[in-house]
Amino acid sequence: MTAEEILNSLKAKFGDAVVESKLDAPQPWIVINPARMKDIALFLRDDPATQFDYMMCLSGVDYNNGKLGIVYHLFSMVHRHKIVLKAFCTKEQPHIQSVSSVWATANWHEREAFDMYGIVLDEHPDLRRILLPYDWEGHPLRKDYKVPEFYNGMKVPY
Amino acid sequence: MGLLDQRFENGNVFVTSLENLLNWARLSSLYQMQFGLACCAIEMMAASASDFDIMRFGIIPRATPRQADVMFVAGTVTLKMASRIKRLYDQMAEPRYIISMGSCANCGGPYWEHGYHVLKGVDRVIPVDVFVPGCPPRPEALLEGIIKLQEKVRKESLVKKSA
Amino acid sequence: MLTEFGKVLIFLIIGALFVAAGLLVAWLLRPRRPYPGKVAPYECGEEPVGDAWIRFNVRFYVVALIFLIFDVEVVFLFPWALVYRDLGLFGFLEMAVFLGILLVGFAYVWVKGDLDWDKPRPILPQINRRQDLQVEPEKKNAEVPVAN
Repeated sequence: MTAEEILNSLKAKFGDAVVESKLDAPQPWIVINPARMKDIALFLRDDPATQFDYMMCLSGVDYNNGKLGIVYHLFSMVHRHKIVLKAFCTKEQPHIQSVSSVWATANWHEREAFDMYGIVLDEHPDLRRILLPYDWEGHPLRKDYKVPEFYNGMKVPY
Repeated sequence: MGLLDQRFENGNVFVTSLENLLNWARLSSLYQMQFGLACCAIEMMAASASDFDIMRFGIIPRATPRQADVMFVAGTVTLKMASRIKRLYDQMAEPRYIISMGSCANCGGPYWEHGYHVLKGVDRVIPVDVFVPGCPPRPEALLEGIIKLQEKVRKESLVKKSA
Repeated sequence: MLTEFGKVLIFLIIGALFVAAGLLVAWLLRPRRPYPGKVAPYECGEEPVGDAWIRFNVRFYVVALIFLIFDVEVVFLFPWALVYRDLGLFGFLEMAVFLGILLVGFAYVWVKGDLDWDKPRPILPQINRRQDLQVEPEKKNAEVPVAN
């Protein structure tokens, strides 16, 4: 299936959850409403025409204008096609629905997105920090992050 | 305190002979607690392998800090790991020595400027005896660090240190 | 002047003194500076949590018990083997009866499954996936198209 066919089948089934898309990019992407991520992911995984059974990557992004987002790279082992999904949220309302019940690998990827960007994944079974210590304050990969002076008595900057 | 450790006011020929014996015994059998954290661990393994062989210096890897004399901190020390290193250093038995291997353990290494999660040098949490520079240091550099530590052990004394 | 057993006693005493002397010299020479961080239990650098006595599978106890019984049997075999030549056929038959009784016990332990070591059955994770979706055979060797 081409990206346009995937977009059309998504629009036919979900209509308003598909916000925008850019199909002439080197990796064509589709923007999804963050509160509907799980339904769309379930459809993309289970529909026989798309069958995206492999989530290659899930990355958090800070777009430097108050907008945060998550980018999903999906691949189908059966049909050998790829698509990129994006979901945006703001720093004041950083909520995106979790897809860890659809693809098991998303569990740790979403924990990393939470750890580094502060994006809260709703319905995630185990949302806690994965890379940084549990009592760390702040989300480092945000563009406005300031390095703390001390952590547990140890001086952090050089 | 042991009965003889640092109890003497001034040395005599028996004390110096005993010191020589003890120091020789200690430097010839520095059991290491290998603490390979990152890429320097590979060079530590290379130094332990047949070409450079630290076992001929009497350095045998032990898994636990209780049986170890020297700890090679080899690799980047993150803030998450630093509390564990402190605890493990506390659990080593005297006489204990630390060799800080590689730039990351010496001073934070390539992460000195932007590494928010890196401890800029393991000597911020534990006292280090020998710093081995390099990124990563070649096995010969680690061997030189070990020899420098052996020279430091050779100069230790049972006589009480007076101010 | 000294019996054979006396010589063994001297040997034992010297052995014990040897060990004690080594420990005494070590106690004299080693530094002893305990503080709470040093004497805390070792847990790979973490704060120690929980008890050091943990539950383990009962098969270790069963194997140890079976070993003990057959080890005692072997202990009985040693002096019998030393005087076997003097005992003749009677000694052979008596030991055969003894071993036969223990052989019945061995067979019972075997059939009961107490000697099986590999018992754990791994539980594989259940992944909710539609079972009717299959790989189409002709797609396996096709080129990898890029969706565009």
